Amino acid sequence: MKIVVAIKQVPERDAPIHIAADGRWIEEGDLNYTINEPDAYALEEALQLKEKQGDAEVVVVSAGPERVQSTLREALAKGADRAIHIECDDLSTRDTLGVAQVLAETIKAESPDLILTGLQSDDLGLGQTGVVLAELLGIPHATIILQVEFSGAGLKVKRELEDGWFQHVEMPLPALLTIQSGGNKLRYATLMGIKKAKTKELKTVLAAEASAAATISMERVYLPEKQKKTEMLTGSPQEIAAKIVEKLKFEVRVI
Amino acid sequence: MIAGGLPSTATTRFFPGAFLLSNQQNIGTYGTLAEPGPLSAPEKIVLGLGILLAAALFLWRFRPILRNILRSKKDPGFKLSPLGPRIWDFFWEVLCQGKVIRQRPLPGLAHAFVFWGFLAFALVTLNHVATGFGIGFLSPYSLIGRFYFYFAAIWAVLVAVSITGLFIRRFFVRPVWLGRKVSYESGVIALLIFLLMVTYLGAFFVASGSTEVRLLWWAHILTLLAFLPLIPHTKHLHLVLSPVTVFLKNDGYSKIPPLTGDEDFGLVTGKDVTQLISLQTYSCVECGRCTEHCPAANTGKLLNPKEIVLGIRTYLNEFGPASEVPLLTESRIASPDNPPERYLSMEAAFECTTCGSCEFQCPVGIQHLPVIVGLRRGVTNTGVWEDTYGTKLFLALEKNGNALGLSSTERDKFLQRQAFPIFDGTQEYCLWLGCMGGYDPKGREIIADFARVMQYLGTSFGVLKKEKCTGDPARRLGNDLVFQTLAESGLKNFETAKVKKIVAICPHCVRTIATDWREFGIAPEIEHHSEFMARYKDRLPKQQGEKIVYHDPCYLGRYQDVYEEPRAVVEQAGTLVEAPRSRERSFCCGAGGGLAFLGEEKGERVSHVRARELAGTGAQVVGTACPFCNTMFRDALTAVSEAPPQLLDIAQLTARALPASQPSQGPHHSPVTGGAQ
Ligand code: SF4
Ligand code: SF4
Repeated sequence: MKIVVAIKQVPERDAPIHIAADGRWIEEGDLNYTINEPDAYALEEALQLKEKQGDAEVVVVSAGPERVQSTLREALAKGADRAIHIECDDLSTRDTLGVAQVLAETIKAESPDLILTGLQSDDLGLGQTGVVLAELLGIPHATIILQVEFSGAGLKVKRELEDGWFQHVEMPLPALLTIQSGGNKLRYATLMGIKKAKTKELKTVLAAEASAAATISMERVYLPEKQKKTEMLTGSPQEIAAKIVEKLKFEVRVI
Repeated sequence: MIAGGLPSTATTRFFPGAFLLSNQQNIGTYGTLAEPGPLSAPEKIVLGLGILLAAALFLWRFRPILRNILRSKKDPGFKLSPLGPRIWDFFWEVLCQGKVIRQRPLPGLAHAFVFWGFLAFALVTLNHVATGFGIGFLSPYSLIGRFYFYFAAIWAVLVAVSITGLFIRRFFVRPVWLGRKVSYESGVIALLIFLLMVTYLGAFFVASGSTEVRLLWWAHILTLLAFLPLIPHTKHLHLVLSPVTVFLKNDGYSKIPPLTGDEDFGLVTGKDVTQLISLQTYSCVECGRCTEHCPAANTGKLLNPKEIVLGIRTYLNEFGPASEVPLLTESRIASPDNPPERYLSMEAAFECTTCGSCEFQCPVGIQHLPVIVGLRRGVTNTGVWEDTYGTKLFLALEKNGNALGLSSTERDKFLQRQAFPIFDGTQEYCLWLGCMGGYDPKGREIIADFARVMQYLGTSFGVLKKEKCTGDPARRLGNDLVFQTLAESGLKNFETAKVKKIVAICPHCVRTIATDWREFGIAPEIEHHSEFMARYKDRLPKQQGEKIVYHDPCYLGRYQDVYEEPRAVVEQAGTLVEAPRSRERSFCCGAGGGLAFLGEEKGERVSHVRARELAGTGAQVVGTACPFCNTMFRDALTAVSEAPPQLLDIAQLTARALPASQPSQGPHHSPVTGGAQ
């Protein structure tokens, strides 16, 4: 049994974000990076499956510049067996299809039984990479997964729906799952893990050229702009009240 | 030796006894020590064989112990120098019995008399044996001999009385700390010591060369020979080992040794037990002083520091120092008191607040904290310890860099609200906030008030733009990865900011930065705010009236020997009242050792016990000098008292009397400070 976990490295949660000079991406120089939280849960799920399964191998894969190696090392320290770094400096200019293509090529060569990724990334939050990746690999997928269980030759998974509803799905292997945060308890990194990680394999491969033309291009990145517009409503009290109701209903849409 | 607490019987280090026998056969007069006269050849043979047999039995029982000690792992980084403190400790703790007497005066004195008596008897005993072979060197007829025998006789009386007292204490008074199981061996030892004294004293009342004196002589030597093989058994071994233990103990209090090499994760198996730990566990006299003062053991937890020490000893006896059996198991505990469960327990190891009372109290120089923290390291560094709260704490420290798990922007906002100046190298002090000062509402009040005090005194300071936890909770919970990461980034932070002097409101921060970080580099000079304020005590506003009971934080008192400074500050702010247990004997608030961040305690809360004691003094205010003590008592005081006393840090006690507007540093001053009315 081989489980691949696709991991993204993202800026730390409370990092002060500055926009790069060209306005198309953020200033990366002074940021601290960490593992994307849903991916941490995906890794945890993989490690727990391995512990239950016994003879599984967990391979972590991450695309990005050299800095992503620190996140891969952390994953090795937490218990992954092997890591692959897909060297790629233009990640931010690729759309989800482009990123999925980069990942797909490397992951295909591994021919895993199960692929896990986080549901979405903490930085862009597009939530598509996993799904597109499954499509590119031609395997079934399920999203927003809280629990995974092997059953016979396939899987039983629990999906989170809205409003406290869950869906239980059975599916064949190989498959791809996107994991929701909070389904498991994360483990802490240990000294022994870090020491062991030093002896584990971390392979670097070059990303393939984008094989399809990008479907979207980044035009402008900006911080939420504060807008303060004051509009004076005039008229009799009744008229003002009626205007407020209308605005609340149709503009702000809270009633 | 000397373990004070074990006043019980076994207490000798040198063997008493020996009457003086002169070589010539004088008929002695009554009132001097009578001599038995020359022994016959068969008697000499019996004596010689007896000595050989006793020595052989002694060695037979002592050898496996010695072997376990010697075969344990070498203590990395052990240095004998500087010798000065070692000699002083030996002098004070062994020869003067300082700790033994000070912490348990009556039994301590009794123990000291027995010990000193034995020292006095060393010469007498040697001479006693020598006389048997016709080569005695002290004559009751020489001036020196006569004097010395009388001198020894006085000690003999003191020893006999003391050992009787200790016997009564152990078998009739039966203090709970000595353990539930009655130790009959201790009774036998007491009896033998008593006999040794009586047989010596008896020789003053019989004639030299008489049958009586010969009988007494033999009784004395046989008692002595019976005593010898008993020593290596269990706690009586302290007669031999504890002087060595006291002399060799590691420098530093609650010292956590650096890990060495890639395979060292702390105390995982017998292989990790070092020679010093081994020696110490074999020296334990089972006096229970450690347990008597342990906040965990006193509030219904599983932890009992004596059992930790004995647990390691039991492990060594059973598996030896080369064993790969894990030291900690889920939830068992070793002890002669609980014989079926022989090993050490993980639950117990994580109940320790690292208050250090045990280590402070132990009369034979046993250092519990390196062992307890070592055991925690063994299971935390390897990921064996699984605890929801513990994991949450570690993840918070990994990710957010503070123990409260809040975003660091929270601290930024607080700095802005307070308009604290950022340290830029021009100010005298770097004011260290710590997790409590930076993120906890009550801790922030303390920091804000202390900042007001500094401004009032006209001392320039700045705070660091970014600050991470010192790693104290990770350190004490045995997570070396998190601790090391935080220590290294902290050192770098100070270096980049060019900090020269730091002042902090948290004794844990001070201890960790000043002592624990040393493994990775030297931090700038750091002091606790009590030390800072005490220096200016004459300039602090003098307040009248209110009775303030001061609680010594473990990490300030026992850990750093700072007792007078916070008291000086309190005395300016009101009338100082002492808690029943104060200074070195102060009772923990329950927060240390990372426990503030772990889940609900088993049994009674440590903080409640202490809060009751503090409230019971009738003081209107409880004065603290540690933000952790402060948080612990906040709930505890209301829980244990109808009309709880006010709870204020020494900075708040001072700041409340400051004039509302400060001279000089307008912009620094912030009126927020809830604590200071
Ligand atoms: S470890 Fe405890 S029981 Fe043993 S000698 Fe020290 S104080 Fe006494
Ligand atoms: S350090 Fe304190 S809590 Fe821990 S075992 Fe010793 S006395 Fe008990």
